[in-house]
Amino acid sequence: MEAITVSGLNKVYRTRIKEEGLGASFKALIRPVYKQVQAVRDISFTINKGEILAFIGPNGAGKSTTIKMLTGILHPTSGTISVLGLNPVKERQKLSYHIGTVFGQKSQLWFHLPPTDSFALLGAIYDIEKDKLKKRVDELSELFEIGDLLQTPVRKMSLGQRIRCEVAASLLHEPDILFLDEPTIGLDVVVKQSIRELIMRMNREQGTTIFLTSHDAGDVEHVCRRAIVIDHGQIILDQPVKKLKYDYLNRKIIAVRFEVPQRLEVPEGVKLEKSGEMAARLSVDTRRCSIDEVMRWLIAQGGVADITVEDPPMEEIIASIFSHKEEGAAG
Amino acid sequence: MKAIRKYGTVLKLSLQNAFVYRSNVIGGLLFYTLFIFVFFNLWRAIYQGGRVAGYSLTQMVWYLCITELVVFGCRSGVFGQMNEDVKSGSIAYQLNRPYHYVFYQFFTALGGMVFNLLVFGTMAIVLGMIMVGPIPGFRLQSLPFVLISGIMGMVLNFFILMALGLTAFRMEENFAFYLIYQKLVFMLGMFIPVEFLPGWLRDIARFLPFSYVAWAPARLAVAFSWELFIEVFPVQVLWAVIAFFIAMAMYRFGVSGIQAHGG
Amino acid sequence: MKRYKGIFRLIGLYFRVNLASAMEYRGSFLLQAFGMALSNGTFVFFWWIAFQQIGGRIGGYDFNDVMFIWAAASSAFGVSNILFANMNAITRLIVTGELDTFLLQPKDVLMNLLCARTSLSAWGDLAYGFVLMALTHGGDWQAWGMFLISIVIGGLLMTAVSVSAHTFTFYLGDASLIGGMALEFIINFCIYPEGIYRGFVRVLMLSVIPASFIVHIPLKLARSFNIWMLLLLFGVSAIYCFIAYRFFYRGLKRYESGNLIITRM
Repeated sequence: MEAITVSGLNKVYRTRIKEEGLGASFKALIRPVYKQVQAVRDISFTINKGEILAFIGPNGAGKSTTIKMLTGILHPTSGTISVLGLNPVKERQKLSYHIGTVFGQKSQLWFHLPPTDSFALLGAIYDIEKDKLKKRVDELSELFEIGDLLQTPVRKMSLGQRIRCEVAASLLHEPDILFLDEPTIGLDVVVKQSIRELIMRMNREQGTTIFLTSHDAGDVEHVCRRAIVIDHGQIILDQPVKKLKYDYLNRKIIAVRFEVPQRLEVPEGVKLEKSGEMAARLSVDTRRCSIDEVMRWLIAQGGVADITVEDPPMEEIIASIFSHKEEGAAG
Repeated sequence: MKAIRKYGTVLKLSLQNAFVYRSNVIGGLLFYTLFIFVFFNLWRAIYQGGRVAGYSLTQMVWYLCITELVVFGCRSGVFGQMNEDVKSGSIAYQLNRPYHYVFYQFFTALGGMVFNLLVFGTMAIVLGMIMVGPIPGFRLQSLPFVLISGIMGMVLNFFILMALGLTAFRMEENFAFYLIYQKLVFMLGMFIPVEFLPGWLRDIARFLPFSYVAWAPARLAVAFSWELFIEVFPVQVLWAVIAFFIAMAMYRFGVSGIQAHGG
Repeated sequence: MKRYKGIFRLIGLYFRVNLASAMEYRGSFLLQAFGMALSNGTFVFFWWIAFQQIGGRIGGYDFNDVMFIWAAASSAFGVSNILFANMNAITRLIVTGELDTFLLQPKDVLMNLLCARTSLSAWGDLAYGFVLMALTHGGDWQAWGMFLISIVIGGLLMTAVSVSAHTFTFYLGDASLIGGMALEFIINFCIYPEGIYRGFVRVLMLSVIPASFIVHIPLKLARSFNIWMLLLLFGVSAIYCFIAYRFFYRGLKRYESGNLIITRM
């Protein structure tokens, strides 16, 4: 059962260039100069109901543009989109009853009010009957553990609490698809994980299709079952996450600092990317050795002052996808 | 001498700054023109039924051009600035700067006011000429005196607003003071020439500073006389000095409170 | 039609919720009401003096006429800001992209957007008009009737003016100057007698600057009722609001095609 079908989607921004100064302003009025930016280039994919899909790519890759087109707030230059059988551009309001959105920087909650008021307003906006609304609010408060936050004005909440309320708000009208644009941006590790768990739970228990964009590899690893990688407006990979993990997310970066100068002889599967007398940056191939092994080895060296374990940045992952493709190697 | 250089630079910088924010000025000019246009129509209609003692229609329009110039054109935002500085605590930070806060604020505002005076002043002259022609009997010799009266009016306005703004040290919400002051200036000179007021009010106004902000320079412009100048200018200066000292006192008082108790 | 279903439930809720939140700032409301009363009071003072000293009519109006248009303008402004206070934020919503939030919701974008905020101090403006009317027009039922009609129409017209002004942001990138000033501009034409203006300005006031429709024609009707003039008033106001509505949606199309960004070189 198809939830989203996209075919040959293109988006070209035509922006007016305006130079500084009064003279240039007049010139621009009479004869405007335009610059064309192709944000999305010939994208096609199909998403089935109940899938959890991550749309990942570096900044400026076209993720936000795509999600805006899917939700109907941006008009494509060419191509077709069908979301739940509806054309988001032509039938945006009809579609809006069936989709929920969590757009990182834009809040659906009223800042000075407690969530109950925002929920009541959203209930009116989505034509949810009062008793149904109450039931749903109770259900979601339990799920999201926001029961005692309901009366607190949003401005007094921590970021993590706010995001939980935000996601709950987006689900009030029981949408079939939930769109999330960079939902974990700016959150710390603990909060990120709890949001990821909530998303997965919605999918598991209510069958909500999840479409999320991210440039955090961790979102992909822990939440999604399928990933579409986009760069410079084009899809460069569309695979189940398992495969992606094996092929490309098989590295971790360990940055270590020592109290005494150390010379490291790295074991198999570990590459020394950078090293100084008292610090080093290691790249670990997790297919060959586990993080646990490497950490033990490092600590055994003695005098460890600081260790950080990170995912490689998305840009590196994309780069390795490119180079892998160029080599023509199969995953 | 250092002080001159110090505050002179402040003045220059604020002039440059005023130029950068020209879009605000354009909006201001638009409204200024609107006001004068409306007033011209209004008083022309009023004058069909009678007249104001001591003013011809031409004088009346010029009068309003100048009062609006002084109060609206050359407004400085000092009240809001005082409130902000006090509430945010940045007034405390300025204690360890090598200048005096009151003087600094004055010279900063002065740059803007001088810029506005030139821009709006030009507009005033243009509008006046277009609508009613030149002021009858106006002599170029009186211009410098009108100018210093106008500037004194602005200085007086500035220090009163500064003092009112500094009440933020003690008051949560002091906007009422601003409103009341504004309305008093409005009623006693800016919108209504003092001569138009009923006798008893005219007499009271004489002893209050409000009419010396706008009415004084405007009256001098439209009907200059040495007697009038000698009568009003010293009073302007006197009130300006009083306002200055009150502002200084409020500043000292407020700041010592901070120094004692913290932010 | 589904768009408009439930819009009243929504408006009602916005109203209640905004009021509750604004009630927290009660102190500032009293202050603003005071300030406004003071400000309006000084004009009453001026007109009282003017009519005292001059006598007769000014611009064809007597003192009560002037008070009527003041009351009408003030209360219309109140109505506009009580119901549609968010009209003042349109430029900001466009520039920050917060407009998207309204686009994603299944209600008429403009109505949803406009009603999302209310101004508590606008109640002061609304009340002022009523007080002024009570003091000057006592039991004049004809005047009261026209007053009530005019504040509804006037409120809608003022909203239409603001919306249209802000709509320019879709085309110019940042019309915050125009948006902020438009209504103030119009109000300046609403608070003086119609008769002081001549020729071209009168035409303007019957078109681009709908001041005549907001206050002057209602006054005429309050003094001598004429069904055709009333219908004209309704008709023109409806057209004006319709144009503003369409203009906004045209601008919105531009926003949705994403070509608003003007890059500076």
